[in-house]
Amino acid sequence: MKFLKNLTTTLFILLLAACGGVPEKKESTSTEEMKFSVAQVLEVVSKENDITRTLYTKAIVGAGKKQGLKFDEDWQKEDVEAGPLPALFLRGIANDIRKSETPLGLYLGSDFPINKANKFEGKQAELFTKIKSDRKPQHFYDENQKVYTAMFADVAGAAACVSCHNKHEQTTKTDWKLGDVMGATTWQYPADSLSYATTMEILKAYRNGTKAVYEDYLKEIAAFKTSEKPEIGDKWPSAGGLYLPTPEVFLDSVTELASYETMTVLLK
Amino acid sequence: MNFEINPLRFRQFIGICIGLILGLLLVVVFGQKSNEKYVSIGPMNVGHEEFSCNTCHADATGNLWQQLQSNLQYSIGLRENSVEFGTIDVKTKKCLVCHDRDNDRHPTHRFLEPKFRDAVKKINTANCNTCHSEHNAKRLTLKKVDYCMHCHEDLSVKNDPLDISHTDLIKNKEWSTCLQCHDFHGNHEYKVPTKLKDTITYKTLRAYFDGGKDPFSPKKKFIALSEKEWIKKYIDNK
Repeated sequence: MKFLKNLTTTLFILLLAACGGVPEKKESTSTEEMKFSVAQVLEVVSKENDITRTLYTKAIVGAGKKQGLKFDEDWQKEDVEAGPLPALFLRGIANDIRKSETPLGLYLGSDFPINKANKFEGKQAELFTKIKSDRKPQHFYDENQKVYTAMFADVAGAAACVSCHNKHEQTTKTDWKLGDVMGATTWQYPADSLSYATTMEILKAYRNGTKAVYEDYLKEIAAFKTSEKPEIGDKWPSAGGLYLPTPEVFLDSVTELASYETMTVLLK
Repeated sequence: MNFEINPLRFRQFIGICIGLILGLLLVVVFGQKSNEKYVSIGPMNVGHEEFSCNTCHADATGNLWQQLQSNLQYSIGLRENSVEFGTIDVKTKKCLVCHDRDNDRHPTHRFLEPKFRDAVKKINTANCNTCHSEHNAKRLTLKKVDYCMHCHEDLSVKNDPLDISHTDLIKNKEWSTCLQCHDFHGNHEYKVPTKLKDTITYKTLRAYFDGGKDPFSPKKKFIALSEKEWIKKYIDNK
């Protein structure tokens, strides 16, 4: 009798457990083909980043400085009328990506950073030594956070990179030259392979970040009280005055410059 | 029901009925919005006083019965993942919906970079809750404010504007003095003094962390979204 009672209770619990409940969440409910390795995707987005940064440094910061525009690390402070320095432009993009649903991490570091908090340590320092010698990307799996990580050389691609870093009050190196590996970007993503749609989401998150930070810069300009405001519109990149592009034009310029390399990978 | 087999059965029956009624009553009474404060584990932190439970605690997927079933299934190996019970855990991403700002000097995601692994082991700055544990009626819930030492121990400032150099302050392990000039998230409009004696005192800072007046400046570049603003931005505009 007791055995029968126990059996009935067990069956009841099993029945309770086996039926109903909250549907199980699957990693991916899509049947879409995993078309790209994480390394391929991070290399594409890193190339977009190189192009964006070089364009911003050359055509916005470098050209703007010649016309009297200022760029400052405290650009968002109330009493500072300036734009973001290229490193902070990248930091802004990284922040914006984190606001999106795309779990992409982006960081910038160096062995001679302006701010010591950006100095590479541990595994990153070890891999950066290799990057400096052969300029090739380095990939590793971060066991701690369970994310795929890639590091890419950050090369001084514009005169403004070199001159600003050499002259900066807190610089730790004063002999940077054009073409030097000044640092590296570190990228992280939590999956080893990605579908076409996810790859597009990553590229979109990066470009949205670029647009958001550039728009923030234009908002700062709109709030300038004493400095001359540049004209935003069609005249950029004409060198004859204080001109800046609209966010759409800036992003279109990035797209035009990046499209060959990006499409080459996407169409593989 | 046949209570004649054993009279104790009747008492059991009454007990179960009283239990059910009391249970139901508790659910109904404490489920009322006006009684949320009795369910809360403590008073809300500064700035969050007007929040309702649902501002942060969204309902978990499924009803309580389904959640119970799912977790039972999980415990006997019939499903891969357990489910959240009652409400969804409040994580950093939730805080950032209102508090995320472009000018944050120490954004939480920054600490996900591999180089910060050792520092994060000592103090998990990738998580808001580490320093701002909710339901404590405070701003900062850390007892010691010496956390800068985990990343800035080798800091040196060229042409140091401070009368007592940063190098000396670090050498003497005066880590609590950092915040007397630099607020961690860097959102205050504040002119930093050049003499240590003119900086905000530790006592004043502690009072601020515990919920007192802001000693930096009432002026902030970014103001966190209020519940109403959040609803307008994310719900009404959808």
